[in-house]
Amino acid sequence: MSDSELAMLPVFLPLAGAALSLLAKALHGGAKARALEDSGAFIGLALPWAALAAMLPRVLAGGVSFTVSGWSGAIGIAQRFDGLTWLVDVLGLTGAGAAYLYSRGNGPKGPLFTTVYLIQASALAMTAATADLFNLFVCLEILGLASYVLVASSEKPGAFLAAFSYLAVSSAAMVFFLFGLFGFYRVTGTLSYEGIQAALVALPDGGGAIATMSTACLAAAIAIRVAVMPVYGWLPDAHALAPHAVSAILSGVLIKTPLFALGRLLGYLPSGQEAMALIGSAGVVTALAAVVVALSQKDAKRLLAYHSISQIGYVVAAWGLGAPAAMAAAFLHAFYHALFKGLLFLSVGTITDAAGTRNVYELRGAAGTLGKSGDRFRLVGVAYAVGALSIMALPPLNGFASKNAIGYLFKGGWRYWALFAAGACTVASFLKLSMIFLPARRGAPADAAGVAGSVPGLRIGGTMKASMLILASLCVATGLFADATTAAVSRLLGAPPPAGGAFTAANLLKALQTLALGAAVFGLAMSKPGKRLAAAIRGRPRSFAGLVMAFLGGLAVLAAALARFG
Amino acid sequence: MIRRLLVLALFGTGLAGLVTKRNLIKKAYALAIMNSAIVILFVLEGAAIGSDAPLLGGAGKLFVDPIPQALMLTAIVVGVCVSALALTLAYRLYRHFGTLDIDEIKRRIGHE
Repeated sequence: MSDSELAMLPVFLPLAGAALSLLAKALHGGAKARALEDSGAFIGLALPWAALAAMLPRVLAGGVSFTVSGWSGAIGIAQRFDGLTWLVDVLGLTGAGAAYLYSRGNGPKGPLFTTVYLIQASALAMTAATADLFNLFVCLEILGLASYVLVASSEKPGAFLAAFSYLAVSSAAMVFFLFGLFGFYRVTGTLSYEGIQAALVALPDGGGAIATMSTACLAAAIAIRVAVMPVYGWLPDAHALAPHAVSAILSGVLIKTPLFALGRLLGYLPSGQEAMALIGSAGVVTALAAVVVALSQKDAKRLLAYHSISQIGYVVAAWGLGAPAAMAAAFLHAFYHALFKGLLFLSVGTITDAAGTRNVYELRGAAGTLGKSGDRFRLVGVAYAVGALSIMALPPLNGFASKNAIGYLFKGGWRYWALFAAGACTVASFLKLSMIFLPARRGAPADAAGVAGSVPGLRIGGTMKASMLILASLCVATGLFADATTAAVSRLLGAPPPAGGAFTAANLLKALQTLALGAAVFGLAMSKPGKRLAAAIRGRPRSFAGLVMAFLGGLAVLAAALARFG
Repeated sequence: MIRRLLVLALFGTGLAGLVTKRNLIKKAYALAIMNSAIVILFVLEGAAIGSDAPLLGGAGKLFVDPIPQALMLTAIVVGVCVSALALTLAYRLYRHFGTLDIDEIKRRIGHE
């Protein structure tokens, strides 16, 4: 098998699996249908690992560039399979595999779900590798369509509305993407990244105003998928109301793959560096602002969704620096976030299902409730603890390593302090969420309140436990062997090996400071004025028109800033 | 120039509809109108040099640029998928709430 065929396997295998499980739908249930669906899932989510393993030597040798099916470069679809592609595929397959395993226990189930899920996995791999502007458009649309369906698959009315808003906003943004694509095609007459770069360099004005405007349109349209401020508004509803397994993959994987695809594209464009720097600054603001909103939430899953925005802010901040070392830190945090946020969505989702309420201020005695649903060894509680300690960046878990790596990049500037404050608020927010494990209040109807809304007959089955166990062990392993993981990622991304390890005295001291400050913020947030402020932040007006206007505003700012640089 | 202005007007119509209309169906149509505007733009600009079909044996004729048309075939297919899904979601919301008004639906979800 040639390199280019091997490199397409992570795209084609999930598609083949999707076809198989769609066939299972035609069999109308039964053992044969189930076997067909299972083998589809195996082909789509497990076999690509073999392809990735086989690609590793080629990736370490510098990666491969090719066109799909060997068409000539002028009309073929250009692909690039390098260290970044490989790593983003690893991130996607880990998140998708674990979340799918969980869905086998707690739904959504059925061949149709599996089909859409596998189509999404295929589009993720394609997005990571594409080096062609129109193919990027198609990939993003497939990713989008699959995720609208997956969000709506929880069958809750709120989820339908969330899916509709997400669809409308990102489809409107994709029209602007086409504008940008049109601009580059008009100026350069080609659609492959390399072709565009070569043609722009040859032009006396480097493409001029059309190239600048097109860059802004493309970057803003993709920024919506990444949910960076100010275009984050669709995410909280969509991620909070989706089924837990879908929330895990949406937050863990789906908001990151477009970011790295955008990074690849901007690397070829003349004003790409400026665009990345600008979006990176927005990322720092996102990290801090979103965590404040997260701290004010009372719905457990919505709280987690706002944390996803905040954590992607960290990733975007590092990504915006553009240098290989910064990209390595950005990827590490993206990967670790996929692990611990996936874990948090799955464990908190299980708890809220068992308890029947998602209100952080009411839900108490979670450990006992879980025990009644079949969690005898407190696995879900331990999984939650691992996830929470990771996102709080406490040693020796993985969040500690990646957040310190990102902080190191910004040493001394305002960004450093903004991210430090965001870290303290994250601690406060998870102290608040952890209150669900406090014993039930005396006098409060511990069970009666819960049973009304709990999922009937929820049994925490083997696949659910297995998926949480896998994610939790990965969180611990990548934390304990943080230096080795960082070195491997740096090597794949062509970055110099990082100086010094994660577990230095300075970093440990910083973790202690963050923890102390976080505890203080937690105390303030739980006080009477704090709760009033939280209610005010929760109740701020949010409208659909606001989502579109935020996008247009962001686009205008980006275009104006790029025009000034140009 | 007048053609480009017309395309721009069509696009503006769609965008304004998406932002100001409260009816979910109208929002879905507004998206479709925006999409059509961009499709027309690609086809229009692709025909800037010539408008003859790019067929073999047509030496001496002024061909359209076929690539924008090929791209737009794909974009139309994507647009149809998006419209279909948007209408499906609107229908499911209507079945549950008995209204298509997005503000009203939002208000009721807030009360649930």
